[in-house]
Amino acid sequence: MDTTTVDLRHVTKTFRGTTALRSINLRMQPGVVGLLGPNGAGKTTLLRILATVLAVDNGSVRVLGRDVTDTEQRTDIRRRLGYLPQELGFPRGFSAYAFVDYMAVLKEWDDAAARRTEVRRALAAVGLQDKATKRIRALSGGQRRRVALAQALLGSPELLVLDEPTTGLDPEQRVSLRQVLAEAGRTATVVISTHQTDDVAALCDRVVVLDEGSVRFDGRVQDLVNEAAGRVWLADRADPRASASWRTGTGRYRNLGQTAPPDAELVEPSLEDAYLLLRGASAPDDAEVAA
Amino acid sequence: MSGIDIPHAWHADEQSLRRWVDGTAGTLLGASVEQHVVRCAACRGMVARMVAMPSLDGVWDRVLDDIETPRPLFVERILVRLGLPRSQALLVASAPSMRLSWLGGITAALMFVVLAGAFGGDRGLSLFLLVAPLIPVAGVAASYGPSADPSYEATAVTPYPMLRLVLFRTAAVLVTCLPLVALSSLLPVGQQVTPAWLLPAVGFVAITLLASTWVDTAYAAAVVALSWLVAVVWWTRAGDPLGVLAPELLVAYAITTVLVSVALVVRLRSLGLLWQMP
Repeated sequence: MDTTTVDLRHVTKTFRGTTALRSINLRMQPGVVGLLGPNGAGKTTLLRILATVLAVDNGSVRVLGRDVTDTEQRTDIRRRLGYLPQELGFPRGFSAYAFVDYMAVLKEWDDAAARRTEVRRALAAVGLQDKATKRIRALSGGQRRRVALAQALLGSPELLVLDEPTTGLDPEQRVSLRQVLAEAGRTATVVISTHQTDDVAALCDRVVVLDEGSVRFDGRVQDLVNEAAGRVWLADRADPRASASWRTGTGRYRNLGQTAPPDAELVEPSLEDAYLLLRGASAPDDAEVAA
Repeated sequence: MSGIDIPHAWHADEQSLRRWVDGTAGTLLGASVEQHVVRCAACRGMVARMVAMPSLDGVWDRVLDDIETPRPLFVERILVRLGLPRSQALLVASAPSMRLSWLGGITAALMFVVLAGAFGGDRGLSLFLLVAPLIPVAGVAASYGPSADPSYEATAVTPYPMLRLVLFRTAAVLVTCLPLVALSSLLPVGQQVTPAWLLPAVGFVAITLLASTWVDTAYAAAVVALSWLVAVVWWTRAGDPLGVLAPELLVAYAITTVLVSVALVVRLRSLGLLWQMP
């Protein structure tokens, strides 16, 4: 049985002469897929295309078995979709409950009693059942992000498209969110874009690395990690030949590279090591590590 | 029900228990049954089966409803009284252009230009002609699009028909202008130009909506406002402020409005999105 929920073929998207996506081919099935890549890699553009926000310039997009270019089929996709944009504002004066309720109306929850139950379920899923009556502007950044996530969870969608869902969350909240998304990923396709490699390592069955609008890696998380095996070293000093190196909390230096630094100890790679090595790890700013 | 459980050789009969539950047992029987029930778990069990207890979940849900469900917005309450379903009323009332502060602002602006038109001579009349037809456009600009709606990107990909939402909110914006139109028609300036200025006003709303299928509504409204400003200033400098409402121009406004409205409906049906995202 074909379980494909997302099918992108030769998808290209350009903004004012800048190519955001270059002939992307991706197929997804139920499970949690992590999108990694530096700023400007095309992650948000890809998610917006999946969420039917953006039309592509070239190529074909089928989501949940429907053609996004057909108005009726697109509406059907939207009935089965949950979307968390990268930046989501809120109408002024709304409480958490009022906002999720407003979104539930837009998502065709017309029966008042059923809508109340669903809104409460969504708020409880993100741990905000006790903050339902609070004005959103009185909530912390992490709590606001969870309100935004709650609206995406309405109706237990078959496709969840989440752009940086863990931004602003503290470690406990991130773990809690992982549980929610892992549960959703049992039956739905969950696509998350993030800069947090540990979220991807902890949560995702599959990782797609985008760079300059192209897919640099697409496969199991462990397969990407394995690509870094034998190239991560702990040493007493930074190795100038390394692709990247930084001082760790133990005082030793973690060096990424083919060649062993003097007196170095070979260690197990993490997903972050593998990601940095894949990208070449030439730019410390992009790599988000302290060189 | 919690309580003491002392083994008893006898139990209250069902009829006595039922009368006690119903409150018809009388003082003596009632006190006797009550004394017994407090000490007898078996009879308390019978009482529990006789009393139709609401489910705890149901009670809790009603408490939550009272606490969590937000008080309907002022405009929402009015729309519900006018017969709109509550959920639809919520969508209309949630538009920034339906907030009391906004409604107060456009009321003040229109009152000002009405008075200016009444007592300000030609310049006042020009000001009225410039501002009044643009107020509905400003309302529409504050109703939709990335600039007006901070949650736009999430709301745009819901299955709710965008055309319906647009028309609901536009109608609401126009309706809020009606009392002001009625008021202005009582003044000399109103009698001079009302309802003629409504024609370009409706046309501007249609043009703004059509343009907003390509660009953000705020930009569309700004271009419309600038064009109208140029026209009003041109006629004022020509010494005939009312020239913008000349009969032949009114016909042109009417034809434009019809054509643009048709184009708008066709365009909205072909689009899943009302605005192109950056």
